[in-house]
Amino acid sequence: MTPPGPRLLGPRVLGASFRLAALTFVADPQWLVPSIVAPVVFALAAYVMYAGSGGVLVLYAVLGAGMMSMWGQTLYGSGWAVGQDRYLGTLEPVLGAPASYLWVVAGRVLWNTILGLLGGGIVYAVIATTYGRALPLQHPVEFVGLFVLIIGTLAAVGLVLTATFVFTRYAGFIQNIGEFAFYVVSGCMFPVILLPFWVTPVSLIFPATWALDALRYASIPGYGGLPWGFTADLAGALGLTLVYLAIAGTLFHRVERHVLSAGTADEY
Amino acid sequence: MPAPSDAIIRTQNLRRVYESRKGFLFQEHVRVEALRGVDLEVDRGEIFGLLGPNGAGKTTLTKILATLLLPSSGRAWVLGLDVTRDVTRLRSRIGLVLGGERGLYNRVSARENLRYFADLYGVPLDRRDRRIQEVLDLVELSEAADRRVEEFSRGMKQRLHLARGLLHEPELLFLDEPTIGLDPKSARQMRHLVRGLVAQGVSVFLTTHYMFEAEELCHRIAILSRGRLVARDTVAGLRSLVGGDRTFEVEGYGFEDEEVRRLKSLPSVGRIVEEDFGPRERLTLRVRGEELTVDQVRAALPSQRDLFIRERRTTLEDIYLDLVEEEPA
Repeated sequence: MTPPGPRLLGPRVLGASFRLAALTFVADPQWLVPSIVAPVVFALAAYVMYAGSGGVLVLYAVLGAGMMSMWGQTLYGSGWAVGQDRYLGTLEPVLGAPASYLWVVAGRVLWNTILGLLGGGIVYAVIATTYGRALPLQHPVEFVGLFVLIIGTLAAVGLVLTATFVFTRYAGFIQNIGEFAFYVVSGCMFPVILLPFWVTPVSLIFPATWALDALRYASIPGYGGLPWGFTADLAGALGLTLVYLAIAGTLFHRVERHVLSAGTADEY
Repeated sequence: MPAPSDAIIRTQNLRRVYESRKGFLFQEHVRVEALRGVDLEVDRGEIFGLLGPNGAGKTTLTKILATLLLPSSGRAWVLGLDVTRDVTRLRSRIGLVLGGERGLYNRVSARENLRYFADLYGVPLDRRDRRIQEVLDLVELSEAADRRVEEFSRGMKQRLHLARGLLHEPELLFLDEPTIGLDPKSARQMRHLVRGLVAQGVSVFLTTHYMFEAEELCHRIAILSRGRLVARDTVAGLRSLVGGDRTFEVEGYGFEDEEVRRLKSLPSVGRIVEEDFGPRERLTLRVRGEELTVDQVRAALPSQRDLFIRERRTTLEDIYLDLVEEEPA
């Protein structure tokens, strides 16, 4: 039986991996807690704390909670998907298939980013429903478009970081440290402009920083973020996302080769 | 140099070294030579058995041939393809079944596991579901196909591993200890399946700890010890290598050197293995042909008054122990 070439096989593998991630999620309801329940609780707490401070601060808080949900889901979920392959012993048979592991991971990252998007949407809906009014967005259409872009940027970063889980079984350590650092550095919690000046170069490495800044420009009236403004933010986010995707393509090939060389695919 | 067309596996001075570090503050460099120059040829259509003690390098060799591990040096070709260069093309033509409880997605059904791997192997979409049903029928898991794998017994998981390895109709199947941990009935069922595959034209490279399994299934057998191939032949050929197709076990008290020499000088006696056996001593004689009799053995040991002599066929286990034990460290 001759399989199709890698180019044709790739999208199919992405679909299969997406489907398996969804089935595994459905089969294991504990994932609802970090994906949906925790962000909602976090956003409600943020709303209660900032409700008296006016609309803009509330928006900051709720956006922060939604973004943290999406990022947490993307990094934690995607990293865990590879960690789970190690734990279950499925990394070897999957690597032994003719499909590129990059496509396998891409399918899982896609599932997790969509789940993160869903989490962000639920955060918004719960806040709006609980307090009886929609959050005052300046440009709702751009807001939705940017929301999707942020998902893409997070997925690209997640894809690169997920390679570490293929590389080493100790990647969970990197994940646990990286998750919270990223919340702060990328501007998930509050705009990077509020951070010490020496953090800014680090923040600008991540496409999500640019996309989040653009999102705040589009949603918060009178927002004063990164000095170059909305359009440059948007271009920077798109450009860096492409760079991250290119890095992921190269990195996965090398990491896969390293695992086969070191003989660590069966370790967990 | 490509592999000749009649050999589906060929290795040339294949070596594999594992290097790692132990400890945190005072790190110790650990170096293990798992394969030390393996030269091997396997023919199309045969069941080739690889035997060896724990740590001999069987799984390392299997994984290198199945493209899951890179050799440190040397070369290997499978189905005429280089295992380090033609990886993608090769993977679509071979199947790998690693034994054990792991290696499956436990939270989803057997059918979903197979569907996922069918997609990873590019089984044509118009054939995928039919092929999944075929392999489920083959391994007799059709009735359990929609149950979660976490509910499966060890034997069922093992059969699911085999089904996954066969999904894309490989020309060559690597089976790494496929019956380990199985009850006798499940193990027999697995052997029956393997024989059926070979009848359909699939070649099989099998590693196992079970001598009777190798003897029952394999056309040819190689014995790997401490990373080296110490023998490679049919079971009959291996018997002659260790000195005979019959074995005499002689138990007594304190055999004298002269008596052992006298036994060795008997015309059809090959190798003699001496071992302590509680307070008694045991001599194991490998014997060629049918000439030697129990009376001749007894006559060669005149000082022994309480002799126990048992004659039996030389088993693969005897051969294996002879070859592995004489291999220098």
